[in-house]
Amino acid sequence: MTTLEVHNLVKRFHGTQQSAVNDISFELMGGEILALVGPSGCGKTTTLRIIAGLERPDSGTVYLNDRIVASGSVFIPPEKRGVGMVFQDHALFPHLTVSENIAFGLRGQSAEQVKKTVGEMLHLVGLLPLAKRYPHALSGGERQRVALARALAPRPVLVLMDEPFSSLDADLRMEMREHVRRILKSMQATVVFVTHDQDEALYMGDRLAVLSNGQLEQIGTPEEIFHESNTRFVAEFMGDSDFLKGRVTHSGIQTEIGLLNQIVDLAASTPVEIAIRADDVGFVMDGSGNSLIVERFFRGAFNLYRLRLDSGQILHAFTDHSQILPVGARVRAFISAEHPLTIFSS
Amino acid sequence: MRSNPISPRLAIAAGLVALFVAVPLVYIFIRALGAEPEAWQRLFQARIWKLLGNTLILLIAVTSGALLTGVSMAWFTERTDLPGRKIFRWMLAMPLAIPAYIGGIVHLALLRPRGGYIPQALESIFGQPVFTPSPLGFFGAAFILTLFTYPYVYLLSAAAFRSLHASLEEAARTFGRSPLQTLFQVTLPALRPGLAAGALLVALDILAEYGTVALLRYETFSSAIFVQLSGRYDRSAASVLSGILVVLAILILWGELRLQGQARFTQMESNWRPAPPLALGKWRLPAFFLVLGVVSASLLVPVVVLAVWSIQTFLDPQTMAAVFRTGSQGFGSYVWNSLWSSGLAALTAVLLSLPVALNSVRYPNRFSRFISRFCQVGYAIPGVVIALSLVLLVNRLLPFLYATPFVVVIAYVLRHMPQAVRASESALNQLSPSMEEASRTLGRTSLQTFVQVTLPLILPGLLAGGSLVFLTSLKELPATLLLRPAGFDTLAVRVWMWAADGFYTQAAPAALFLVLASALPLYFLLRREQIFK
Amino acid sequence: MLVSQFKVSFILLMVMLIVSACGGAAPAATEAPTSTDEPPVSVLPATDVATEAPAVEANDVSGQLVIYSGRAEPLLQPVIDAFKAKYPNVEVLLKAGSNSELANALIEEQANPQADVFITTELFTVQSLAQQGVFQSYRPVGADQLPAEFLGADNLWTGLTRRARVIMYNADLVTQQELPTSIFDLTDPKWKGQVAAAGSTNGSMQAQIAALRQLNGEEETLAWLSGLIANEVTFFGGHTDVRKAVGAGEFKLGLVNHYYYYLQKAEGSNVGIIFPDQGEGQIGLITNATAAAVVNGAPHVDAAQAFMDFLVSPEGQKLFAEQNYEYPLLPSVELHPDVQPLDEFRFADVNVVEAAQDFAATFDLMETVGLP
Repeated sequence: MTTLEVHNLVKRFHGTQQSAVNDISFELMGGEILALVGPSGCGKTTTLRIIAGLERPDSGTVYLNDRIVASGSVFIPPEKRGVGMVFQDHALFPHLTVSENIAFGLRGQSAEQVKKTVGEMLHLVGLLPLAKRYPHALSGGERQRVALARALAPRPVLVLMDEPFSSLDADLRMEMREHVRRILKSMQATVVFVTHDQDEALYMGDRLAVLSNGQLEQIGTPEEIFHESNTRFVAEFMGDSDFLKGRVTHSGIQTEIGLLNQIVDLAASTPVEIAIRADDVGFVMDGSGNSLIVERFFRGAFNLYRLRLDSGQILHAFTDHSQILPVGARVRAFISAEHPLTIFSS
Repeated sequence: MRSNPISPRLAIAAGLVALFVAVPLVYIFIRALGAEPEAWQRLFQARIWKLLGNTLILLIAVTSGALLTGVSMAWFTERTDLPGRKIFRWMLAMPLAIPAYIGGIVHLALLRPRGGYIPQALESIFGQPVFTPSPLGFFGAAFILTLFTYPYVYLLSAAAFRSLHASLEEAARTFGRSPLQTLFQVTLPALRPGLAAGALLVALDILAEYGTVALLRYETFSSAIFVQLSGRYDRSAASVLSGILVVLAILILWGELRLQGQARFTQMESNWRPAPPLALGKWRLPAFFLVLGVVSASLLVPVVVLAVWSIQTFLDPQTMAAVFRTGSQGFGSYVWNSLWSSGLAALTAVLLSLPVALNSVRYPNRFSRFISRFCQVGYAIPGVVIALSLVLLVNRLLPFLYATPFVVVIAYVLRHMPQAVRASESALNQLSPSMEEASRTLGRTSLQTFVQVTLPLILPGLLAGGSLVFLTSLKELPATLLLRPAGFDTLAVRVWMWAADGFYTQAAPAALFLVLASALPLYFLLRREQIFK
Repeated sequence: MLVSQFKVSFILLMVMLIVSACGGAAPAATEAPTSTDEPPVSVLPATDVATEAPAVEANDVSGQLVIYSGRAEPLLQPVIDAFKAKYPNVEVLLKAGSNSELANALIEEQANPQADVFITTELFTVQSLAQQGVFQSYRPVGADQLPAEFLGADNLWTGLTRRARVIMYNADLVTQQELPTSIFDLTDPKWKGQVAAAGSTNGSMQAQIAALRQLNGEEETLAWLSGLIANEVTFFGGHTDVRKAVGAGEFKLGLVNHYYYYLQKAEGSNVGIIFPDQGEGQIGLITNATAAAVVNGAPHVDAAQAFMDFLVSPEGQKLFAEQNYEYPLLPSVELHPDVQPLDEFRFADVNVVEAAQDFAATFDLMETVGLP
């Protein structure tokens, strides 16, 4: 059963030419986590806010559990949608304690029932000892967990999370990711999770939806998105790909650094670009090689090199050598990938 | 990022508030333009140019005086090792509780040429008259008004000195500037937008000032309008003068509103670090006496003199009986009248400011911003002008309200609404909209959200706005004098009734009480200021 | 919409004013006295009823009494206290201000009357308001004994006390030889910066200017006022300031009502008094009188009439005479022993009705000169 369906959503803000959300459609199954990812201004937060009922769409339809909550003629206000939301700044009510914050969404229940639910939620997020504290006396991670508990407590149909980790330090962010994902899964929550961080999206999402300029570029599992990017934008945004120019031949694609053995359904001599990542490129020292080492970045376990081909094209390549190659050395680069690469016709 | 640029209910409510604010203003212009040409002619022949000159010279003198005093005092308490600077901070801000006309009464009684306490004491010591500076006329008025308006600038600049990042000055030092050069080339320019806004507020205060200039016999637009209102049968001359005064004030307010947007210096960054205080060295003692002098003239002397006079009044049964009664009303009724009318005005102003502030902060667009700015026009309508338009308007349109204390309250609300609007807006600005959105997603309607989340969170800010309105309403003199119904005397009116007739001691108990009643909300307000934390 | 509404109400008000002013002025003009010997006493039936009404029992009068007073509050309060002692059930609400400020209010409130009794420090304002229909007829009990010249036409107002415009001086600073004898001496450069007076909002000062304008004409009055301003006369809001300043030696001379001299003397100052313009060819002493009137449509007529009765009763008159050194109009009440009797002096011959009619011109004159 689909929990959330979004059809042809369009939203334009006053005084702007471009649509913030332009014809976006997707659907979400119960218990699934969907990560909406894209650079800032791509429309992911606006989409989330439309689902929450905090914005009105210009056109398009939103279904929650097969009920229309937003369309051209219907607009259910946020308080009647039964969604839970975790805000970027957590938005904990500073005048209420941790327990009171969590209990805020529990209405029409007996005091006993509320107490029980709050206790369960506090236990779930591991904050039982802090029940009586006020938000200003909590650390960033604790606030994050209270915000999550508050959103989950009323057992919402759908949980919406808007960059929930962006206000945390890098270390804590990693820790919270795991923690939060475990909690969401244990609750079998259906979640739409917004982030601009591709790592986070790959980690959190059962599926990913990549947005750019208000449009949905691709939706799919993390693996599909990473390895089978539909568009050049997705390849670039999700995987730091370089784009190597080449031409289609009957035996594969001829590039400046050799032939890629991959048959494509294109006419011969069509110019194409191959999305190629640093782990798909290898090189060896060679005085008469096809490229030059421009820069080396030490990355701990490995070294990342920036190479300039004779045509001026820049490629990146990893080496795990303990040996360090000097900047300025001439090398011979080649394609080392053992899996199909994504190819775009230019 | 708001999708619904208008909330119709809120926009209508805010529009109604703006309309309420607009009526007296529009009415004054109609009356001024409708005045017969003779009135204009008579005024332009003799009076207007002199009044304009008088008013502008006083305005410039007091504004510069307040800037100079306020900024230098702030520099002493925030940037140097001045002895006693902690207590001086309070004493430099507290004169805000003393209306300038009360300060004027004290200084006039002390310094009046030949008749004042000090000249008389000197004469009896030296056996002949000794020259003392006169508190009367231009110099006196400029001196007194500076003494009681500099705290505005002091508070703004002290907060600014305090919040300015130390690295800014340190950077200047590494580029080879001496501490003094740093002050003038870096620190003060960095504070400029905020200080200029503060100075313009002082200027608006001076335009509206009636009591002090009337007492010290310096004629400005406001006092001339008052004389016209109480001296003539026809109101056209007063309307003409009012129209010109309001145009002048609106120009200043416009400048102030423009600067307001830029005055963002008080925001502290997380890595803020105070600059180390400058060692005054051998200048410590002279600096101490300079600050002590300012504090004495603006706070200690007035309060002590009022206290002594009050005691004298209490000791003399006859004056006491006279002071504590007018008609059938007693001192208790003046206190009560002052408190409830100012309190009601504060409550009303804050309530009315809410839709305006909500509309402009949560639904920012040209219309809502315009409404918000328009509702601040009260700053530019002096008490006499509000009184003039209300007398005529209320009697014709709302005769049942006429000659009730509520007209006085309406005048306070109109005049002091800007303070409430600003306080409410700043409180709302500090509240993240996601707080309200979280409440909505947790099942609360917009009204429930307002009551359960927004209101409790902005309440301290609203209280501050209310305190400010209360404080300034308590002091308001010309509008109260002109609009009060018979038997409705406030403390301010009592002070004036006695003092205007030259009975200074008799004015003291009411004045002292007024100062004490103002000190309380002021204390609450100052506690919120950064420099007192 | 709004504008037109204002216009309509404004025009209506003007029409009302004009009509009532004409209606009031016509009978007053026909009966205007040519000299003070022929007082304007008209007897209307309504007045008779009021006159013959028995004095109201003190305890029967209750409720509020709203007084607008052009007299300074400290000078009126003792009288109100005495009245309150006699009528304990009356709550007195007082609004004190300048004559003209309160006159403005009364005109404004004609359709919506608030005040019961109006008290002024001179006769021109009450006369002028009476002509505009602001007051109702009431002849206080005992008014028969007042000099007729101090009763308004149709009993629209009643005089209370008389006062003279005098010059007071600081006897420490001025010698007998150099004393001025006329108000016109005050423009003499030898007094430059040494004279204090009340300003344009003060009723007694307004009345003096109006009287002078009637006596000597517009031009001479204008010259006198300009002379005062050129001579750096200091104009205060009220006369208490003037007398205190002269008493303290801040100024040598002060233009005041006579009782301010006595009040200052009672405080122990070495001050003197001059009753000016007594010489041959001089205008004579300018005097005026305080007056009271019951407002047309007064919400509390009973209390208002009781108060009027009290003001002209021996008890009330005595308070004015004793506490404030004024000349009581009731012949049976004795003058304060210190006060110089008025019958020693020659008075300026001023016609109240005419002066009141020209009052507006007096205001224009003050504005033209720029009197503070």
